[in-house]
Amino acid sequence: RVVPLNTWVLISNFKVAYNLQRRPDGTFDRDLSEYLDRKVPANINPVDGVFSFDHVDGATGLLNRVYQPSSRIESRWRIVDLEKPLSATEVVPVIVFFHGGSFTHSSANSAIYDTFCRRLVNVCKAVVVSVDYRRSPEHRYPCAYDDGWAALKWVKSRTWLQSGKDSKVHVYLAGDSSGGNIAHNVAVMAAEAGVEVLGNILLHPMFGGQSRTESEKRLDGKYFVTLQDRDWYWRAYLPEGEDRDHPACNPFGPRGRTLDGLEFPKSLIVVAGLDLIQDWQLAYVKGLEKCGQQVKLLYLDKATIGFYFLPNNDHFYCLMNEIKGFISSDLN
Amino acid sequence: MVLYDSATLGGSCSGSSSSSSSSKPPPLQQRQQTQQDIDGLLAGAGYRVRSSELRKVAQRLERLETAMVNSPADLSQLASDTIHYNPSDLASWVDSLLSEFIQPPNCPSAFIMDAETNQTVVSDAWTTAEPHMPQVHQNISYEQQSLNNQLTVDNQLTVVTAMEEDSGIRLVHMLMTCAECVQRGDFSLATSCLEDMQGLLTRVNTVCGIGKVAGHFIDALSRRIFQGIGGGSINGGSAYENEILYHHFYEACPYLKFAHFTANQAILEAFDGHDCVHVVDFNLMHGLQWPALIQALALRPGGPPLLRLTGIGPPSPDGRDSLREIGLRLAELARSVNVRFAFRGVAASRLEDVKPWMLQVNPKESVAVNSIMQLHRLLGSDLNRNSPIETVLSWIRSLNPKIMTVVEQEANHNQPGFLDRFTEALHYYSTMFDSLEACTVQTNKALAEIYIQREIANVVSCEGSARVERHEPLSKWRTRLSGAGFRPLHLGSNAYKQASMLLTLFSAEGYSVEENDGCLTL
Repeated sequence: RVVPLNTWVLISNFKVAYNLQRRPDGTFDRDLSEYLDRKVPANINPVDGVFSFDHVDGATGLLNRVYQPSSRIESRWRIVDLEKPLSATEVVPVIVFFHGGSFTHSSANSAIYDTFCRRLVNVCKAVVVSVDYRRSPEHRYPCAYDDGWAALKWVKSRTWLQSGKDSKVHVYLAGDSSGGNIAHNVAVMAAEAGVEVLGNILLHPMFGGQSRTESEKRLDGKYFVTLQDRDWYWRAYLPEGEDRDHPACNPFGPRGRTLDGLEFPKSLIVVAGLDLIQDWQLAYVKGLEKCGQQVKLLYLDKATIGFYFLPNNDHFYCLMNEIKGFISSDLN
Repeated sequence: MVLYDSATLGGSCSGSSSSSSSSKPPPLQQRQQTQQDIDGLLAGAGYRVRSSELRKVAQRLERLETAMVNSPADLSQLASDTIHYNPSDLASWVDSLLSEFIQPPNCPSAFIMDAETNQTVVSDAWTTAEPHMPQVHQNISYEQQSLNNQLTVDNQLTVVTAMEEDSGIRLVHMLMTCAECVQRGDFSLATSCLEDMQGLLTRVNTVCGIGKVAGHFIDALSRRIFQGIGGGSINGGSAYENEILYHHFYEACPYLKFAHFTANQAILEAFDGHDCVHVVDFNLMHGLQWPALIQALALRPGGPPLLRLTGIGPPSPDGRDSLREIGLRLAELARSVNVRFAFRGVAASRLEDVKPWMLQVNPKESVAVNSIMQLHRLLGSDLNRNSPIETVLSWIRSLNPKIMTVVEQEANHNQPGFLDRFTEALHYYSTMFDSLEACTVQTNKALAEIYIQREIANVVSCEGSARVERHEPLSKWRTRLSGAGFRPLHLGSNAYKQASMLLTLFSAEGYSVEENDGCLTL
């Protein structure tokens, strides 16, 4: 039961900071949250082979940050060609990434997520579009899903994100914690609308339910996370008066819907063995299997939440390999 | 309980405890050592923690968590009352929270006491209320430009914007090529580039977006190629003209308002408890910053101090004493709110011509030195003597001010290589123009744009003493000011909150206030 020291400091710092931001009456100190969040600007100059630029939606003020591998030709640096596709011959995967934060915290320009997305670009040789969504408690269900869906449509309609001989945008949806939950829901909306998504990558996705599972009881308060804070975030996100069996929280629960017959993308679900909500995540995996959907579970025994923020542990490298394989297996 | 392993704590323990209250800056060597000791992975997450201190910080965090769990009643109170500073410095952030919990609530936190107790030791404090304008400084999204068009007419524009994007990109490519020729000294090729670009401009929307920005850069390149690098008509704008343009820039977008507001907050705090205060404004203009400060001082508990304002500005050519006029208006205002006020104007065409004795600083008064986008003009080096910046910083320090507020553009426009400077400027000012467009304030934006255009022209077409827009990034200013004997005063979450609230008044999408290692940026 060992976490590297700097990871421990990082996640404990978040825990303490978040405690200060959540108020018992369900309101949230957004100013303090934005003040404390460490943000980084986009950088059109390649750093470690990756450059980034932002697109701000004029109407909503929401940010999409695009990360791309930099050209090997130095004279092409710092100029983004929005006229040409990513490649006319090869397929370049585009990962739409939804950051975590329990629907309440963080942004696409948060340092931890900027760093993570850059790593994803290099590992998968993909373009990553990190997407902001309206957060709770100011904006409840279904705002995050609507924003995610809008972002997917935006990505799908960019000619400069197209690749391959079939000239289309080859999209994967990904997200951690609440971002994983959003990815699932956006994938459902996409499947229903006939919009093609090649795969879902869910990193300890945020699900729950009204009952208390064994893992929740066993791990409550043991590894940075408490049931009390989980409950707070659901109360902040779900419509007022709703309980945790609302399908946004519990997609395969008593009020869930089946995905039978739906052209749902294949899924890679990553579960951290020390995450107290793992029973819900495992139930999600079973739910997908029962609907006949293709799903792979990566269960990382000794991992805590946030293990992927710093590349200082085996789980991190294992995860990156799996994601790489998950995507590259489509490229043949 | 989660245990942490110490395998990652390798290497030397070179760090002494962080000394933010020292009167002199640490010698350069020691600072370099401590830089190397910073945990690289946490740095990538935005936190500066020395590897040697990780264990200590972890222990403090644990204590803090325990304290928080044991006093849930205090937590909400604590959360809303505490002023947080510089969250990147995790060790001191945790310590300040711990001290809030352990000390009784009527004791001010360690940070505020810092400034006071060090007053008797020779310590000069400066805050950088830096509205890095704009923060996202390398951001060229053509998509944004075409979106502006889409707002007006819907369907038929899809074809036009595709063409537009094409021409827009060609323009950018050509601008870079032209700049590269200029750097190489190939003026004939540069000239033919210019001609091509001017042709392209006719096919592109120059009212907004890339066409407009490109137009300004083409003009600036043109100036450089045909008129040489002496500046000529750009720097020749009269003081009166400059004031008008500045005023429109002030109205059209939030940058200057944010700068004034944040600087005033810091000055107000620094003057707390002092009865004789003296503000030195390095560029008075229309004195737009000062009514708010005068009013705030009028309202402070315990009553206002005696306020002296010394405004520096260029001499008026036509016999008007514009400095005095502004001073008189401010005096009127001060009188109306019962603040004892005295004004003095110092006319100087360049900041480096000002000598400290002209400011007539009284040893008994508390001094605030306020520089809004002036210091970068001193960065040109004169081979004959000391660089002007060093001279000026040194006399500022000799005045022993209670606080120095510095506002600068967060940009890298002072690099020696022309192409690098050009590229940086292209990205920076494109975003700047976009941000101007995002403002829905009803005002004549054209004049604000000319203000920006003059900056562009100076960065691109001038050299030597004519090039005064020598913007440098925050990190360089931090080093320079520390080296001159100034200690950073951090702007806290209260200033942040108020600045954010102010921003909401400006009805503009896409702006945000960010905290950056003790400084606030817009």
